[in-house]
Amino acid sequence: MSFIDSLKMALRSLWSHKMRSILTMLGIIIGVGAVITVVAIGRGGEAMLTSQFAGGGNDTFEVYYNPSDEEWMSGEDPYSKTQYTEEDILAIESIPAVDQVIAYAQNSTEVGYREEEAMAQVVALNEGYYELHELEVTSGRLLDDRDSDMGRRIAAVNEGFVEEFFEDVQNPIGEIVDIENTSFQIVGVFTRENQSIFDLEMDEILIPQTVWPMLYGTDDMDMLNVQATSADDIQEAGDETTQLLNEGHSLAGEYEVLNMEEIQEGISQVTNITTMIIGSVAGIALIVGGIGVMNIMLVSVTERTKEIGLRKSLGATRGNIVSQFLIESMTLTTIGGLIGIGLGAGLANTVALIAGWPLLISLPVILLGIGFSMVIGIIFGLLPANKAAKLDPVEAMRYE
Amino acid sequence: MIQLNDIQKKYEMGDQILTVLDNIHLEIANHEFVAIMGPSGSGKSTLMNILGCLDQPSYGTYRLEGMDIFKQTQTSLAAIRNQHIGFVFQQFQLLPKLTAEMNVELPLIYAGVKKQERKERAQEALRKVGLGERMKHFPNQLSGGQKQRVAIARAIINDPSLILADEPTGALDTSSGEQVMALFEALHREGATIVVVTHEAEVADYARRVVTLRDGEIMNDGGRETCPSSTV
Ligand SMILES: Nc1ncnc2c1ncn2[C@@H]1O[C@H](COP(=O)(O)OP(=O)(O)OP(=O)(O)O)[C@@H](O)[C@H]1O
Ligand SMILES: [Mg+2]
Repeated sequence: MSFIDSLKMALRSLWSHKMRSILTMLGIIIGVGAVITVVAIGRGGEAMLTSQFAGGGNDTFEVYYNPSDEEWMSGEDPYSKTQYTEEDILAIESIPAVDQVIAYAQNSTEVGYREEEAMAQVVALNEGYYELHELEVTSGRLLDDRDSDMGRRIAAVNEGFVEEFFEDVQNPIGEIVDIENTSFQIVGVFTRENQSIFDLEMDEILIPQTVWPMLYGTDDMDMLNVQATSADDIQEAGDETTQLLNEGHSLAGEYEVLNMEEIQEGISQVTNITTMIIGSVAGIALIVGGIGVMNIMLVSVTERTKEIGLRKSLGATRGNIVSQFLIESMTLTTIGGLIGIGLGAGLANTVALIAGWPLLISLPVILLGIGFSMVIGIIFGLLPANKAAKLDPVEAMRYE
Repeated sequence: MIQLNDIQKKYEMGDQILTVLDNIHLEIANHEFVAIMGPSGSGKSTLMNILGCLDQPSYGTYRLEGMDIFKQTQTSLAAIRNQHIGFVFQQFQLLPKLTAEMNVELPLIYAGVKKQERKERAQEALRKVGLGERMKHFPNQLSGGQKQRVAIARAIINDPSLILADEPTGALDTSSGEQVMALFEALHREGATIVVVTHEAEVADYARRVVTLRDGEIMNDGGRETCPSSTV
């Protein structure tokens, strides 16, 4: 008796009880679907969090100031004296483990256009900024180091800024805006790529770094990012940078860097724990589903006692009967598993679309899902199949 | 072909022992047509189940075409039932979800015959029992007599040497019963060995030999003139 014949027999039998088959599959569908969804969401979320913290994974870390308790209590702005000076930047650049320093200044301030005034985020930058932030030019151009070197009073703005200020203007390029009584000509419009749910959508205006002191009288930078020479040097570059800054500034608080490894581990741990918790709930659903399958198969064996007796009288061996019922329960759970994978993938896809992270359903996970549902079918089909095979043909055919 | 020697079948019901068959010696030669008669409860079906390798006695030996049946494994018994024996039951025992053709195919599935050949042979067997027009019918779309003829087609599909029928006309009216018996007669003429259990004298008339059971023992074994090899 061939496998194909058994499979056809199983499908015919399942098809003859459509409703029952579907209800029996439900546990497996939910279990497998939940596993697929949870694993995909876990991995997608982890990938997104990681890329957000790791700055795109170009061996860059951000330096920030962590004020002491006294500074917090003092009532003054604890960040007012923590800016990075030109000497700081030069010193950090001379650390062997450091490839380059990307510093920029930013300030939220009033920007004027004709009679209008509104708040916008002013960022003074040079080309290094683009290594940290992916900007896409939608018209005109971005600022480069030559603009900085020459101290050009030009600016690039984002789409939000355009909407806020240039509603009635056909083409914002060439328009003049005022920041701190200084005029800037718009040369480009951009949008941020990989904007995540954590990023606030602000109206932004970018200006060359060298122009900053003219506005605020200082060339100190607010934001400091350091790119290490390689991934292995991140730790060393971070340690030396913070040591240098802490010694140079001697403030009550401390300069710190985000430790990528720790964060990565933390994220992994959180997602692993969540995946495990929900995974074990899904595992319980699968076992409950499996018990449901076993239950229905036992009912089916009892219902078909006469049929089993007849098949035996026609020459079916115990093996034939076992495989008939095993294949039937396996078909049941495998179809359930496939539906579950479909639904789970759909759900994960929807979540990924909404949350804006990558859809990470890998082939191994799908194969694992299919394999798992097959195994459940076999395990929970064994008892009923064995019961069927052991039936005495004479007794079975006399069964009412 | 069949040699039953000192067969005894007992059932233990609590502390009561029920002897259903006792001291059965029976030889049936090739190409015989035997009827087994007897009152209800006399052990006819039990004897048929033993002949059909479905049941084991408590005592005795059974040789079928030289094979010592009670020394066979479960698997080879299944093969013997599949290859050598064709069953016809009182209640037809057709699977309701399968068409006539698929019901007839069943023994060939367990014989490992390929789909195409199965189909051809099933159709041929159905034509032989006069149901060439009913191949795709389901059992509930067939009359009792037609169902029993499907069952006969299923019994003969594997060209068995022995056909066992336990009250094949018991659930049929007289005329369909006659049709069924006419089929058995035709099969007998073609060379099949047939054993039929029946209550009805008309049915037994088709047979050349009548074995009568009473209380599990052979009361009478008549019509032996066509059976020179019998030694009982
Ligand atoms: N599994 C069993 N357990 C106990 N007793 C049994 C069992 N099977 C059959 N018997 C008994 O064996 C006896 C013979 O039964 P069997 O079915 O062979 O009779 P039969 O001659 O075919 O009767 P009928 O003409 O009514 O079909 C009966 O008394 C029955 O009660
Ligand atoms: Mg009987």
